[in-house]
Order: sequence, then C-alpha cells, then structure tokens
Amino acid sequence: MNETKTRWRWGTNRWIILGLIILSVFLTGLYPPLRPHVQLPAEQLTGPLFTLPVVGEFSLSNTIVATLIADLVLIALALLVRGAVGKGGLSLSGIPAAVGAMVEALYSLTESTAGKWAKTIFPWMATIVLLVLVVNWTELIPGVDSIGLLNEDHIENREACTFDTLFLLGRTEVVAVGGDHECSAGVVPFVRVASTDLNFTVALAIISVVATQVIGLRALGGGYTVKFMNTRTLFTRPMFGVIDFVVSILEAILEAVKILSFSFRLFGNIFAGSVLLFVIGSLIPVFAQSAVLLFEWFVGIIQAIVFGMLTLIFMSLATAGHGEAEAH
Amino acid sequence: MEGNIVEAATIFGKLIGAGLAAVGVLGGGIGVGLSALGAVQGMARNPEVTGTIQTNMILGFAFAEATSIYALVVALLILFVF
Repeated sequence: MNETKTRWRWGTNRWIILGLIILSVFLTGLYPPLRPHVQLPAEQLTGPLFTLPVVGEFSLSNTIVATLIADLVLIALALLVRGAVGKGGLSLSGIPAAVGAMVEALYSLTESTAGKWAKTIFPWMATIVLLVLVVNWTELIPGVDSIGLLNEDHIENREACTFDTLFLLGRTEVVAVGGDHECSAGVVPFVRVASTDLNFTVALAIISVVATQVIGLRALGGGYTVKFMNTRTLFTRPMFGVIDFVVSILEAILEAVKILSFSFRLFGNIFAGSVLLFVIGSLIPVFAQSAVLLFEWFVGIIQAIVFGMLTLIFMSLATAGHGEAEAH
Repeated sequence: MEGNIVEAATIFGKLIGAGLAAVGVLGGGIGVGLSALGAVQGMARNPEVTGTIQTNMILGFAFAEATSIYALVVALLILFVF
C-alpha cells in the first residue's frame, strides 16, 4: 500500500505534460498562429498527373494520401492479427487481442440484428466501420492538416512576409509559418482528413446503398423489386392498391435520399470538427485544443459506428422483405 | 474590395445567409435531448437492458444530429462555395 502511494506521487506523465505545455507557450511566443484558411474542396498536391477517359484529369489530392495511409494501417493490422493467430492459436495478446475483441463485438451486433444473413452482411458493415474509424482518427495526429506546402496564392502583403527558415531538405527550405499579423499565409497540408472530402463520403454511401440492393436481390430474388413497385394489390383491392403503389414509389425516392443522408452526416460532422480544431487552435494556441481533440475522438467513433450500424440495419431490412414482421 | 458595390453586396448577403442558415442547427439539439430523455427514462425503469437502450440511443442520436448537420453544411456551402 505504501509503495503504490509513493509511485503515484513520483509519476512521470504529469511532468511530461507540464513540460509540453511550457514548450508550447514558448513556441507560440516565437511563432504566433495565423488565422487559418478553410477550403471546402480538397486541395491538389501536384498538377494533373494523367487523364482518365470519363472522369477527366487526375491529380493527387491530400485526402487521397490520407485514404492510402488508412489503407496501409488496416492492412498492417490484418497481417498482424493473421501472424498472431497462425503462431499462437486461440490465445492472443496485445494488439491482435484488441482487434479480435472489436471484431467480436461487431459480429455479435450483426448477429443480433441480422439473424440468418449475418455472415453475408458482416464484411460490409465491419469494413465500413473500421475504415471510417481509422480515417476519422487521423485528424487527431499532430501534423495532419498543419504540415504542408506553402500556398503562394494566399499570401497577402508579400513584401512584409519573412518566414523563418527552420532547416534545409535538399534544396527546399522548411519554414515556420507564423509571426507578424500583417502577413497572412496559407498552407496546403500534405495530409487532410479523408472524410472532409465529399468524394470519399459519397463514394462510401453509394457503395453501401448499392450493396444493400444487391443483397436484397440475392435474398429475395425478383420479389425484392416489389418493395419499389408494389402492384400486387393494385387490381385486387383498388383503394389500398393505389396507396401501396404510391408508398412503394416513395420508398424508391427514399433510397436516393439515403445516399445524401449517409454522405452528408459523415462529411458535416468531421468537416465541422476539423474547422473547429483549426479555429480554436489559432485563437487559443495553448492547451485549449486538447478539449476539442477529446470531443473529436468521441465524434469519430460515433460517426463510424453509426455509418456501419445504419448499413447493417438497411441490409437486414432488405433481406427481411416487404410486409413481413421482423422479430427483433 | 474597395468601391465595388456588387462585390460588397454579395459578401453582405453571404454572411447574413450563412448566419440565418445556422439557426437550423437548433432542431438537432432538441432532437438529441429528446433521444437522451427517452433513453434515460427507459434505463431508470429497467436497468438491466441498459446495453440495448444505449445502442438505440446512439442510433437515435445520429439520426437527430443529421438534420442539424444538413443546416451546418448549407451554411458552410453559402460561405465558401458561392
């Protein structure tokens, strides 16, 4: 009992945090942050690289870099788990155990909602949850959204701008942007959170909705289209038949609205969060951003889980059919 | 930005429009509060199904938040794209 008390008193983490706060006070004294320049479309890092037939010019944007990083992280996690399972059998420890626990939690959630079709639906839902989770969490890493190329178009008052050169990388100068407030400069970040790009979110939403239709067709066969064009009772009971028909047309419109809703929910949450991080980081440079970072961590998890769970629910509704009672 | 009345009117309209569009965020706050109200009441009546109630509360929270996010996105669109 006594040694745990003394170990707590001489803990090192608090001193590390205090040291970092003092360091940040000094650094913001040297380089006060500038007002950030917020832009809705993703910035292109290079010029047009090659031309695709339908889409047009393709150039590397910083959200593509973030998506590639998330892909590498997920593949590394998968290979790690595979290596651990191959060697140790059923007893895992460390990172593979944590990943295993997460996958198990997701699978039990899938089973409780989908029932029979859990094995088909689970890969879609789990991929979406893990990908969106890793992508959302990249905005917490220091250096994302802040380290990048100096944006020559957004420098006002060019003659008054003197940037301090930190060091030289080959023939490129690495400068610290900050200082006098007559000069306002913008930075094109190397990595920007992929969910703040509408391309990413709309693509995921379209994939999710189209996969729902495919799974519905696979489960019910041709009977699945009855959900969208209900002409079954149109001639037998004309009054209710017409109402059923109109309701089914509305369901078809609802599918398109689902694409919009999925994509804008994820986009709005994460974009608003990253703008909040920028603005609070430039208003109160010391320690205030940590509270917003905690909130963004939470929002990242929730948006990933919600995207996955809504996909799961729509897919299990598609397999259950129209007009049957679901036994939840 | 000096003396150009059309540019000044555009910026004026943009700022007022974005401010008005952001009023719609109010509905999301009320919706999230109602969802949490139902969840807490349910948990008070039946503490053993807290897990299920929590999952459904998060689901309802996301749906309610979505409409206020739409309002925020409209405000951001007005400010940065038009």
